[in-house]
Amino acid sequence: MTDHVLRLYALALAVLGFFVAWAAIAAEPWEPASGPDPDPLTAELDLYEQRLSRAARLAQLLAERRAERATASGVQARALAAAAPRIVTLPPLTVTRTS
Amino acid sequence: MTKGTSFEAMGTTFELLLDVENGIDVSPSFNAVEREVRRLERILSRFDEGSELSRLNRAGTLEVGPELVEIVGRALAARTETDGRFDPTVHDALVAAGYDRPFAEIPADQPATGADSCACGGAVRVDVASGRVDLEPGVRLDLGAIAKGWTADRVLPILAAHGPALVNAGGDVAACGRTWPIRIEAAGDLTVAIECGGLATSGVDRRRWRTGGTERHHLIDPRTGTSAATDLLTVTAAAETAADAEVLATSLYLAGSIERAAAEADARSFPAVLVARDGDVVQAGGLR
Repeated sequence: MTDHVLRLYALALAVLGFFVAWAAIAAEPWEPASGPDPDPLTAELDLYEQRLSRAARLAQLLAERRAERATASGVQARALAAAAPRIVTLPPLTVTRTS
Repeated sequence: MTKGTSFEAMGTTFELLLDVENGIDVSPSFNAVEREVRRLERILSRFDEGSELSRLNRAGTLEVGPELVEIVGRALAARTETDGRFDPTVHDALVAAGYDRPFAEIPADQPATGADSCACGGAVRVDVASGRVDLEPGVRLDLGAIAKGWTADRVLPILAAHGPALVNAGGDVAACGRTWPIRIEAAGDLTVAIECGGLATSGVDRRRWRTGGTERHHLIDPRTGTSAATDLLTVTAAAETAADAEVLATSLYLAGSIERAAAEADARSFPAVLVARDGDVVQAGGLR
């Protein structure tokens, strides 16, 4: 065999070794295999976490609604300040009645 | 000086007032307002078979103009704001109660029509971008409870461009620019002044009749689908606009009783004057 052929074999072996190593790492053999029965305490904690998450979302939604209402009542207050309705003894210029 | 005029439209009397210097000709502005009101009436009347509203009620789905999109959207927003007390889907309930033609043509006492109530509250979808309005099958709209106030708001700027102005659409008032004293007809000599906003009255001292010997009126309670039963005669409310005041007055009228309406107006700071059928007058919502 010539040096040239030996170098080709060495290169091919190196490439093969690289892919084998890649596949071995991608398989994550250090991760524990999932068992057939999950731990009941872990499952309960997961459920509790989900409930907390939903409660947090609800609290956020309620806070947003409260903020919207506060803004709306502020707008209403300003609008009513502009309308400035009040009882007067001035001679009326027109009449309001059931329309 | 204050110049004024009036004309009949939308089944009521429109009154226009405008403060201008002496010698200014205001008739072009008054004419422009009247033309716009009549144009809107041709769109919004349920008694005109050719109106856009009538065509929508017949078809159930229709691409409509911006005016109908806007007022239907406002009426639907009011339905949400008032928890369903104000509802534009009362058309069939009004017809069932006997209000099936212009009010002037309704006999004071007419025979029963069969069903005297009708379910309200059906789905209405408005696509603002395309101008398409979709009614749930069996749903028809009546905009009589908001159209006059909305129209008064819409034409007020035509006059306000020239000075302090007021538009009174049969009792639904939009005004701006100065103090406008307005007497509440059902409350004797009680007069309320507004600066810039709306004042409107809802009640049963008008637009009422008898069907099959039972008193009916135009204020339908959407929860029962028939004329509302309460000890109130009228509610007058002030708000940012005439349309808002009209929604508020109708909503308070449908509170169920004068005590509940007064409590609600006080709790939510809605300035209002409540008149009971027995003549009692209550000022509520901080109105002084």
